Amino acid sequence: MNKTKALVLHNLKKTKGQYLSFALIICLTAFIMNIAIVLAFQTFDAYDSLFSELDTADINFLIPQFQDDSEIIAGIEKIDGITRAEKHGGVFVSTTVREFADSDFDMNIVFYNLDEARTLNQLEISEYLKEDENTVYIPMYMKELGGFTEGGSITYSIGDADYTYEIGGIVTEMQYGNYGTGLIGGYFPAAVYENFADEQRERSITEYSVRIDGSADLLQIKKDITKYLSDKKITVLNMNDKVSAKQTRTMVCTLLIIIFLALAAIILAVSIFLSSFRIRSAIVDELAQMGVLKAVGYTSKMIICSAVWPYVLTGLVSTALGAALSYTVLPDAAAILAIQSGFLYTPAFDITALLIVVTVPVAVIFLFAYISAMKIHKLEPIDAIRGISGKGKTGQNILLSVLSIGIMVLLSFAGTLLFNVSVKPDNFLNTLSEESPSVIFSVQKDKMSELKNLLWGDSRTKLVLEYAEVSVSYADGSLTAFVCEDFGKVTNDICYEGRSPKKENEIAVGNALADSYPIGSRIEITSSDKSEHYIVTGYIQSVNNGGRVCQLTKEGYEKIGGKTSTVNVYLHDTSTGEFIAEYEDNHSELVASSVNYEQLSENGRKMYAGIVSAVTAVLFMISVLMVLLVLYVIIHSMISRRRQEFGIYKAIGYTSRQLTMMTVSRFIPVVAGSAFCSAIAGIWYLPIINHAIFSRIGAIKNQFEVSIWVLLAFAVIFTVTAFLISVLLAAPIKKITVYSLLKD
Amino acid sequence: MNKQTVISAKHLKKSFGVKDNVQTIYSDLNIDIYKGDFTVIMGSSGAGKSTLMYSLSGMDKPDGGQIDFDGTDITKLNSDRLAVFRRKQCGFVFQQIYLIDKMSLMDNVITAGVLTSKNKEEIKDRAKRLFSLVNIPENTWKKTSSQISGGEAQRAGIVRAVINQPNVLFADEPTGALNSANGTAVLDVFSSLHEKGQSIVMVTHDKKSALRGSRILYIKDGKIFGECNLGKFEPDNAERTETFEKFIAEMGW
Repeated sequence: MNKTKALVLHNLKKTKGQYLSFALIICLTAFIMNIAIVLAFQTFDAYDSLFSELDTADINFLIPQFQDDSEIIAGIEKIDGITRAEKHGGVFVSTTVREFADSDFDMNIVFYNLDEARTLNQLEISEYLKEDENTVYIPMYMKELGGFTEGGSITYSIGDADYTYEIGGIVTEMQYGNYGTGLIGGYFPAAVYENFADEQRERSITEYSVRIDGSADLLQIKKDITKYLSDKKITVLNMNDKVSAKQTRTMVCTLLIIIFLALAAIILAVSIFLSSFRIRSAIVDELAQMGVLKAVGYTSKMIICSAVWPYVLTGLVSTALGAALSYTVLPDAAAILAIQSGFLYTPAFDITALLIVVTVPVAVIFLFAYISAMKIHKLEPIDAIRGISGKGKTGQNILLSVLSIGIMVLLSFAGTLLFNVSVKPDNFLNTLSEESPSVIFSVQKDKMSELKNLLWGDSRTKLVLEYAEVSVSYADGSLTAFVCEDFGKVTNDICYEGRSPKKENEIAVGNALADSYPIGSRIEITSSDKSEHYIVTGYIQSVNNGGRVCQLTKEGYEKIGGKTSTVNVYLHDTSTGEFIAEYEDNHSELVASSVNYEQLSENGRKMYAGIVSAVTAVLFMISVLMVLLVLYVIIHSMISRRRQEFGIYKAIGYTSRQLTMMTVSRFIPVVAGSAFCSAIAGIWYLPIINHAIFSRIGAIKNQFEVSIWVLLAFAVIFTVTAFLISVLLAAPIKKITVYSLLKD
Repeated sequence: MNKQTVISAKHLKKSFGVKDNVQTIYSDLNIDIYKGDFTVIMGSSGAGKSTLMYSLSGMDKPDGGQIDFDGTDITKLNSDRLAVFRRKQCGFVFQQIYLIDKMSLMDNVITAGVLTSKNKEEIKDRAKRLFSLVNIPENTWKKTSSQISGGEAQRAGIVRAVINQPNVLFADEPTGALNSANGTAVLDVFSSLHEKGQSIVMVTHDKKSALRGSRILYIKDGKIFGECNLGKFEPDNAERTETFEKFIAEMGW
C-alpha cells in the first residue's frame, strides 16, 4: 500500500469532483440504510425493553364481570406454563370517539382505574397534569394519531350519551396501546372511574393478565385458557397476546424498514455501476499512463489497488458520514413510528448498525471495483503505451440503463401510490379498509326493518346493507367479525382466496388464521355464551386487526346469539352531512347514532395523500440528485475524453450548442429507452412490488390500479429532467477553444 | 578489453497478426548488449527496432528464444515478476514522454522512486540532483507536464527513468516529438549519463541522435544486419562522424 499511496492520492486529487459525486451517493445510501437498520435494531429492542420494564403480561383477556368468580384465577394459574395471573376491573365499551383525527371514530375501549395498584401491565405516565372529577388519561396512540393533546378534551359517545373529559396526561403501556389490536385503553383517576363504572355497570369487565413461563408454548396456553373458560361457559370479550400485539404495533416500522432498505439497495446498485464505470473509463482514458506505470515497475496488483482504493476510501468516509448524519433525523423517524406503535423512544448510537452500514456497501463497492479493474491484469505495457489494447467499452450505457431503471422503479412505485390515493382513492381505501359506506346508522332497538324500509324508499339511497363489526372469540383468542346480511352486495370484496360466507354455517377467516384453518375445515366461534362450528369458505384480509378477523352472515351470527344493530347506507351523489342531519332530526325514533363514514374516509384519504405526496416528493428529489450526480460523472468523463474532438469540431465551425446537443443525444436515447421500458414493465412488476409490501401489513388483496399513463408520464418527467440536467452539465463544452486544442 | 555482457538474446522470434495475415518481424535474432555501452538500434520503419528493444527490456514477450538479462532469463518471468524486474533493472524514455498528467514533475519521479526505496527523502535528494543534471530549474519541479515545454518534459522523463539507477536505460525515439533545440538538450543528457557509465539502449531513425551512440546496430530483414563501434561521443570528431555516415550508407540508409 505504501508504494501505491502516491498513486491513490493522485487519483483522488485528479478527479476529486467525480469522487465527491460518488461520495454523495454513497452518503445518501448510508444515511437511508442506517435509519432502516437502527430502527430495525432498536424499535423492536425498545419495545421488548419497555415490555419488560412495565412488567407487561404475556396474555390478557377480558370477561364480563358478572361471569367472574373467585375460582377463575386459581383455575387459570393451574394451567401448565402459567406462572402468574392477576385480575383487575374495567369497563368495556363500544364507543365513537369524537374528533379523532378531525372525524368520528368507532372504537372498542376498556377503561381502567388509573390509581389501582398493578403488578403486571404497569403504566408509564409521561405527562401528569391534573386529576379531578373530569379527567381522563389516554394512550399515546390517541395523542399521536387522534390529535388529542394534554389539557384538551375528548368526547366518547356511548349509546345515546356523550362523555367529555379533560385530558390529564398521556399513558404508555404495552398491551392495548394501538387500535390495531382491536381494543384500546382509557384511564380514569379513582373517583372518576368509580362514577363511570357505576353508570356503565352492565359493561363492567374483569381483565385477567397472565405471565407465562419463558419456554412455554404461548399458542397452547391460549387454547388451554379458552377451553377452560369455554368449559365454564364464560364469554371471552377480547384476548390478546404479546406476539400479536408486538406484530401489530411494529407493523409500520417493518414496512418502513423494508422500503428504506429497498431504496438504499437501488441507490447502492447505481453507485456500484458508477464506480465500475469510472474505473473502466479510467482504463480507457489513461491506458498509456497505466502502460508507463507497468513499464517503470508497478505490478498489475499495485495499479489495480491505485484504481480501487480511492473508491474504498471514499466509501469508508462517506458511509461513516451518512450514518452519522442519519442520527439528526432518527429521533423524528422514531417519533413518526410512535404514531402507529404508540410508544416513543430515542434512538441511540448503534455501533453494530454503523459497522453494517460501513462494511456492506464498502465490501460491495470493493468487489465490483476490483472486478472492473481486473482488466488491468491483461494490459501488456507496450500494448497499453501504443494504445493497442484496453480500448474496450466503459459500460456507460449499462450504467445509464441501471440508473434509469432503478429510478423509474422508485418513481413508478411512488407515482402509482399517489395515483391510487389522490385520483382513485377508492382503490387505496378498499385495499386498506373493509367496507366504505357513506353513512353508518346505529339503529334503535327492534327498529331495523322499519329504518331499512325507510332508507330504501329514499331516492338518495343507492344501497342499504345490514353490516356490523362485532367481537367474537375462537380457540386462540378474540376475532373481529364482519357481519353482513349479504356479502354479495358489499362494495369492497376483501376476500382474497375462496369466497365470503353465503350460508349460516359458513365463515371466511382472516389471513392470520389462514395457516391453521384451511378452506373446508371447521372453526368454533363463540359469542356471549353460545358456540357454533362454521365451515371455512375463504380468506379475507384486514389491515386494522392484524388479520384476526372473520366474516359471518347475519343468520350465522344470530346462531351464536348475536344481533346486528348497525346499517350501512350507500348514497348517490348527495350531501352526506345533510342526509345524516335529516335522519337524526326527523327519525330519532329509528336512528340511535350515526357516523359520517364518507367524511371519515375523506379525512383518512387526505392524511394518506399528504404522507404519500411527501414520500413521492422525497423520492423525486432523491432521483433528481442521483441523476445529477451520475450524469455529472458521465458527462465530465465524456468531455475530458473528447476534448480534442470537440476542438476539431469547433475549428470546422460547429457551435457549442450543436456540440452540447451532440453530447446529450449520445445518451439521452438510452435514458429514455430504459425509462420507457421500465415504465411499460411496471404494469407487470408493480403489482408484485405492491403485493410484497402491502401484504406485510395484511393487505393481501391489493386493489391498486397500475395506470400505464401514470407510468409513462413519470418516464417523460424523468427523461425531460435528465435532458435538462445533461444540458446544464455539458456547459463546459463552451469553454473548449480551438486554441486549447492546439495547446493540447 | 573484454566487455561485460548485460543482455544476451538468442534465437529471438517475434511476429504480429493472426492466421493468414502474419507478419514476421524476426525469426532467429541474436544480440548482445554490453555494460557501459550506448547502444543505438537503427533500421527502416517497420524493421522491428522498437519491438526488439521492448523484448530486450521485458516490456514485451518474444514468441521464442531466450533473453538473459544480467543472469535472469526474463522470457520465463510472468508479468508481475517482470514488473518487479523492470523496476530494478530498467529505465524507460518514450517518444511521447508519458508523464502522468496532473502530477508534478517531482511526484512523477517519486512515483517511480518509491518502488525501490522506502526512504522518500533520499529519493527526493536524488531527484533534485538529477533535475539539476538535466537542467530543470527548481521552480519547475512542482509544475505538471502541461505547464512546461516538451524538452523539459522529456528531460523529466529521463530523470524518472534513471531515478532507480537502472542497469540499462532504454529510450524509444526520445527526440522524435521534440524540436531541434529541445532534442539536442535531451541528447546532451543521454551523453552525460553515458559519460557517467550508464548503459543505454536507444532506438532511433534520427542520424543526429544515433551519432551519440558508442555502438550502432542496424536491423534489417529480421537480423542484426550490421554493427559499427564508434566509441565515446565527441562532437567535434569528424572522423567518427564519417565512419558513422559510411556505415549507414553501407546499410542502405
